[in-house]
Amino acid sequence: MSALDTSPPGRSAIKRITVMQGEALASKDPQVELSTVLGSCVATCLFDPIAKVGGMNHFLLAEPPAHLSHLEFDEHYGLFLMELLINEMLKLGAAKSRLKARLYGGANMNSGLAQIGSANAAFARRFLQQEGIVQAFEDLEGQSARRVHFQPATGRVRCSTTAQAAIPKQKPVAPPQSDVGQVELF
Amino acid sequence: MTKGHEMTQSTRILTVDDSASMRALLLNALQQEGFDVEQAVDGQDALDWLASNEVDVIITDINMPRLDGFGLIERLRESARHADRPILVLSTESSDEKKRRARDAGATGWIVKPFNADKLAAAVRRIAH
Repeated sequence: MSALDTSPPGRSAIKRITVMQGEALASKDPQVELSTVLGSCVATCLFDPIAKVGGMNHFLLAEPPAHLSHLEFDEHYGLFLMELLINEMLKLGAAKSRLKARLYGGANMNSGLAQIGSANAAFARRFLQQEGIVQAFEDLEGQSARRVHFQPATGRVRCSTTAQAAIPKQKPVAPPQSDVGQVELF
Repeated sequence: MTKGHEMTQSTRILTVDDSASMRALLLNALQQEGFDVEQAVDGQDALDWLASNEVDVIITDINMPRLDGFGLIERLRESARHADRPILVLSTESSDEKKRRARDAGATGWIVKPFNADKLAAAVRRIAH
């Protein structure tokens, strides 16, 4: 679930919503700010400048099982979260053809064979290219954790590096198992 | 009976999805299961293609430009040629309201993304005429 933090009191209150791994949220509310902390995960910030609708997802591709190449990350889940984000934005009046994307995260925090961060980053770039979505900016890979704040109604993003300790322990989060691939014949 | 190539080889599926990434994933998964796969980029593209082609099963997304999945199903059910054609919806949506709308429009079934290739193939085999 998302954490909703309305602060500070007084002034024009900003509604800060934390986008957790496995989530995709969209809004056109000028008071909403979507925030997340990324290690090897990637966050996609999409913005429609005409409809003034923005949204963010936060995903981590599952590592391949031992019998597969370390390069064969499972992209089903990343694709699901991309589509979920786009659909949420369409519901608020966005048009896919107008979307501009900014990508963040994908750090390789630990030196290992599976460069998880790079795999997440590569998937995100490839998705945007295949879908014809303009990639306006990226701050991807490297070795630093990142904190991202996104104002969905304006498309403004602030990104800063942060201590690795700020990153929640993360494993790929699957959608509710009761629904995954569920077949219902009428 | 085990999963037979003879059983599925002649089953022709039309997938309808505006996401190129999803089309690629579906194409790969369904071809590996032995199906013949055709693809359309939205409901209107599917209608245009079906005007002069035949398929055994249609798998359609819901949220698409020009003509969405609900509209596609409704338009197909108006035609005697497609009145009984099995149509599966494949969507990230899973609300009862959306499912009810699809069923009322004439959909045969609903599958929630991300799909499981085995379950999808089994559903296609079950409903293919």
